Amino acid sequence: MSKKNTAVTMPLPKSKTSLVHNIKKYWPYYIMVLPGVVFFILFKYVPMLGSVIAFQDYSVFKGILSSEWVGLKHFKTLFTYSDFQRIFTNTLLLGLLKTVLIFPIPVVLTLMLNEVKNIKVKKVIQTSIYIPYFLSWVIVGGLIFDLFGVGGLFNNARNALGMDTVLAMQKETWFRPIYVISSIWKEAGWGTVVYLAAISGIDPSLYESAAIDGASRWSRIKYITFPLLIPTILTLFLLNIGSFLELGFDQVFNLITPMTYSVGDIFDTYVYRVGIQKAQYSFTTAVGLFQSVIGLILVMTFNKLANKFSDDGGLW
Amino acid sequence: MKESVKDQIFRNVITFFLLILGFIALVPLISVVAMSFSSKAAADMNIVNLLPVGFTLESWKYILTDNGLWRAFFITFAATGVGTALALTVTSLMAYPLSKTEFKMGRLLMLFVIITMIFKAPIVPYFLTVKGMGLFNNPLVLVLPHILTAYNLAIMRTFFKAFPAEVEEAAKIDGCGYFKMLYKIILPSSKAVLTTVGLFYAVTIWNQFQHPLMFIQDTKLFPLQLKIRQLIGGGSEIANVSLVANVNYTEATLSAATVVFAIIPIIAVYPWLQKYFAQGAMLGSVKG
Repeated sequence: MSKKNTAVTMPLPKSKTSLVHNIKKYWPYYIMVLPGVVFFILFKYVPMLGSVIAFQDYSVFKGILSSEWVGLKHFKTLFTYSDFQRIFTNTLLLGLLKTVLIFPIPVVLTLMLNEVKNIKVKKVIQTSIYIPYFLSWVIVGGLIFDLFGVGGLFNNARNALGMDTVLAMQKETWFRPIYVISSIWKEAGWGTVVYLAAISGIDPSLYESAAIDGASRWSRIKYITFPLLIPTILTLFLLNIGSFLELGFDQVFNLITPMTYSVGDIFDTYVYRVGIQKAQYSFTTAVGLFQSVIGLILVMTFNKLANKFSDDGGLW
Repeated sequence: MKESVKDQIFRNVITFFLLILGFIALVPLISVVAMSFSSKAAADMNIVNLLPVGFTLESWKYILTDNGLWRAFFITFAATGVGTALALTVTSLMAYPLSKTEFKMGRLLMLFVIITMIFKAPIVPYFLTVKGMGLFNNPLVLVLPHILTAYNLAIMRTFFKAFPAEVEEAAKIDGCGYFKMLYKIILPSSKAVLTTVGLFYAVTIWNQFQHPLMFIQDTKLFPLQLKIRQLIGGGSEIANVSLVANVNYTEATLSAATVVFAIIPIIAVYPWLQKYFAQGAMLGSVKG
């Protein structure tokens, strides 16, 4: 209605007219979004533009405008640099472990939790497996160091079994198992929440008729619950691969020691140490940009797939 | 309908197994509590497992009289309070227009927001930008970078979309303006989503580690997580305490008490966290 009126009274191009009109009519909306827009520009878009320093020999004193442009120099160094190959391999391996070993656990836990009949017992179990999710990685790191240190439960148990004390946190061979264990401890319990919600949405009449047919609990899991969970599992799986490179700075940083850099160092921790602590800004921005671009391709691809498999699947 | 014996056994075995798992999940927490109440001798002999050995409050006395730790606690407490309030304001202000079809910029702005989810700026230019804004060694860096996330924006927008249009129409006829509409009508009836999103922000700010690590170097401005990391990591004041002869604590018992100190606030609000986080976990999608 209002659109028509403007089109008649004003001979300007239609889209421009309606936007001006829209701003005039709904100006408070435009003011409301302003703080948010400023936030995204300052904290997201300016740093994106700042990535151009990957193509410069950036110097803090000269600034972006007068630092020297060096084209793809840093990217060329990158691919021949042994550090880069190491962190790339580490990131891929930890991502793979995350997807293969850690991802399935909440699914299994959910199917098991669903078999617990007594609601109070179920609540107790849920409460104890959810707690770690809310603790910071600093605390979890502290707990893990205590657990695997000298005098920790891990070594006390080993000693009781007649084995030697192992300084697991300082051993390269132990870093990946500890990464997996700490991820499971912190996040697998909480991971059941989405699946449990999906289960609660399953039509109870399916179970009733299965029970009448004399189906055992196991066959109900196998033929009803699990198949109906598959869309949710698939969606989360695809989104999980989409965020393959986001292993979490906090986790790795709080579990790593200089002795485990060779196996534990990932993009995020490397960029922090070399880029921010040692001020090699341009080179590490190139590393970060490489990671962001791969991340972009992964998220775009797998979000698209997630949308394809279920209507409401993807992030957007 | 009565369950077959086989099914009952099946369920009981699983329940039993899960109870054991639940206990195992608590073991690291139980063990750190035990250590924090144990004596120096017990800690040095590596005999503390799930119960305190040579019960003593010495480590706790030491920790609780550490002004630095309390200072860090209050910095984090203040940042969480201020940050959550600010975050809810900014997020609801932006989510409300985005939930309106008559807001012409809405589609473009959603794209503007989604892009930030897809393409993440590398950390180094982010560091230089935020530092350039004067936030280095500035306590505001604990707050400002966390006052808006695309995910929380999407949750609130979805919630506002479901608000009955008739109520708003009626208020409009009564001469209610847009800001008043949001604060007097919409927000008071959105307590569930405000609590959920508020807790998401609060936990993020409380647990944040990477931002203070990058931006706060002045130890007087350390928030809790950074302080804890400093205390339990090597080379700190705690690391040298075991050299003092006649005390009844060690590096291990003090670091245990510090970790427990940091866990207590989370446990105190845990029932709310569990409830509202579970609600929030169902809501995240930028679509609709």
